Amino acid sequence: MTVAFVGGTHRTVPLDLRERLAFSAAQAAEALARFRERFPGREGVLLSTCNRVEFYAAGAEAAAPPAAAELVSFLAECRGIDAGLLAPVLAADRDEAAVRHLFSVAAGLDSMVLGEPQIVAQVKQAWAIAQENNTAGPLTAGMFQAALRTAKRVATETGLGRERLSIPSVAVADFASGVFERFDDKRVLLIGAGKMAAETLRYLRVAGARDVVVLNRTAGRADGLAARLGGRAGRFEDLVAELAAADLVVSTTGATAPVVTLDSFAGAEAARGGRPLVVLDLAVPRDFDPRIGGRPGVWLYSVDDLAAACEANRRSRQRELPAAISIVDEETHRFMGDLHHRSMAPVIERLRAGWNETGEAELERLFRRLPDLDAAARAEIRQAFDRYAAKLLHPPLASLRSASRGGPPHGLLDALKRLFDLKD
Amino acid sequence: MIEFISRISVVCFAASYAVALACEASRLLFRSGVRGAAMVAFATAGLVAHTLFLGWRAAHEPSVPLSSAFDWYLLAAWVLAGGYLWLTIANPRAPVGLVMLPLVLGLIGAAQVSSREPFPQSPATQIWGAVHGVFNLAASVAVALGALAGLAWLLQAGRLARKQAPFRGFRLPSLERLAQATARSASIAASTAAAGFLSGIVLNAVNRRRGLLETVPWNDPVVLRMAAVVAWLVSAALVVRATQRRPDGPRIAAWLSLVGLAVLTASIVWGLFGATRHGAPPAAAARVAAAEDARR
Repeated sequence: MTVAFVGGTHRTVPLDLRERLAFSAAQAAEALARFRERFPGREGVLLSTCNRVEFYAAGAEAAAPPAAAELVSFLAECRGIDAGLLAPVLAADRDEAAVRHLFSVAAGLDSMVLGEPQIVAQVKQAWAIAQENNTAGPLTAGMFQAALRTAKRVATETGLGRERLSIPSVAVADFASGVFERFDDKRVLLIGAGKMAAETLRYLRVAGARDVVVLNRTAGRADGLAARLGGRAGRFEDLVAELAAADLVVSTTGATAPVVTLDSFAGAEAARGGRPLVVLDLAVPRDFDPRIGGRPGVWLYSVDDLAAACEANRRSRQRELPAAISIVDEETHRFMGDLHHRSMAPVIERLRAGWNETGEAELERLFRRLPDLDAAARAEIRQAFDRYAAKLLHPPLASLRSASRGGPPHGLLDALKRLFDLKD
Repeated sequence: MIEFISRISVVCFAASYAVALACEASRLLFRSGVRGAAMVAFATAGLVAHTLFLGWRAAHEPSVPLSSAFDWYLLAAWVLAGGYLWLTIANPRAPVGLVMLPLVLGLIGAAQVSSREPFPQSPATQIWGAVHGVFNLAASVAVALGALAGLAWLLQAGRLARKQAPFRGFRLPSLERLAQATARSASIAASTAAAGFLSGIVLNAVNRRRGLLETVPWNDPVVLRMAAVVAWLVSAALVVRATQRRPDGPRIAAWLSLVGLAVLTASIVWGLFGATRHGAPPAAAARVAAAEDARR
């Protein structure tokens, strides 16, 4: 039984080629149907995300998976790309290395953002498409189930995917949520229309924020942004009053000087009634005078503060990497051991069948020579024969199992075949 | 089964809580997929043993159920242990056990060194004694929970001020929720402690009127320290209320809650080792109880 994979990621395949190589769900289904026709009896799963395209093929000895060059040509043909362009940028592996690669991918160890959780859903989807198109089979089923189990273990037993890495997600989940329990009763004030504002608001919406006010020096842009983000546009002249009413401020203007100075904030502060205020100043240069962060009840975070937290999270993820790799190794060895054990099943089956056949023939001969035996005596003799065969078979089978932990026990299997004359 | 219950000792549930505390402390050292389940399992085992122990004492002690200082400390520990279990199941990532379980173990330790002699018994003192005890118990639990919320507020505020990512291994509740919990605990602690103190005065007055007490021991150390604790808790609750709308109000409340716990702890420790007539059967009460026994 063999497993093979070819594929490329953001690290090896240039973006323009990756775009051409990427498969939509429909294109993946079409490719798998073509694979089934081209390589009958083989199993295949196609994993295509924005950062990677990988094909996993598996098959038993009689129908071994295609060679790497064949798989590269197949992918090239499916996407109408010259195979000569793909061959140098796609990686290929077989057996244990291929399994280890899939487990690492599913656990997010091979992702652009280490430990990102979306890949698990993408692996599940790839497996589902293979099932729908009848290219999944017992080998890939075991392999993908083990991959998902590995991903789950890495997620629960290490802190690899726990810390957030993007500035808006860190701003909302690690800081704003540290101050406020809920957001559905909070006023969110958006100042400016920077790129990060919309993304931060998306996280706030998920957290429950409903009441959003958008301010912009250009009223038209504020109206457009408010309509797009589902908020209310305010007048920029009312900035101090809006600051007094807000609980959370996201500021992303392109102003070259602070939009809110300590003096202008003092006007709002008096009217706030001691309520806490979270300010996410995502503008560069900063929109809020940094001294405002020293006022009681104000939690002011600049892009640099948030980037530092992101970096700390990234380092924290890196520290978890050895633990994650050891889980991947453990699961790979476990899966390969099972796979090797499974590859011996036909030989063991034939060995048992041969012994049973001989035993049955001998029993028949014995019963013919002793016709006076009653049913109970016959059953007793039959059981004794079975026990005898099982005891004789136990040592060679135990040796096979033990040898399979270190790899396919080809030598022992060949010896068994020759010694007991087992035909394929 | 009954024989099994009768064999449960304080050590059984104290050991279970100690193991749960060790599991909580290990959050600071490493991650584990089974720690949460182990914590809940040990705490549950401890709570079940604790409940059976108190139930056994209530059913088999010759005096009124749970009527000694030993029982009251164990009852306070039982309420806190139940609160710990509930908070841990509701917020698995909040390390409440790091504060609550030492309090539980402290109260169990206090029970071990306190008297197992029942308080004086007569129908009037039973009612007012129970009211006095229940309010004091509620006040102690409220002070402990308030201090827990206050400490968590200070830790969370410190992290946010230093602009650090959340603590590894556990996530504290938001400042908003912690500030609410601290303020509510301050109010509940003050009102229940005041009610406990007033019911103690009524208890003494009833005893005096019935001739069970010759003089009310107003200058007894326990009465004086309880008065100090009540005065502190009521003052703290008033300050918390007055500063509620100030930006630094939650911080003031957090510190006051911690000082409140320190005051209460000092008061309990003082009570354990100081000489007192509080709760001891007065001569008259002992005479009345003996006469009632003789009549029966």
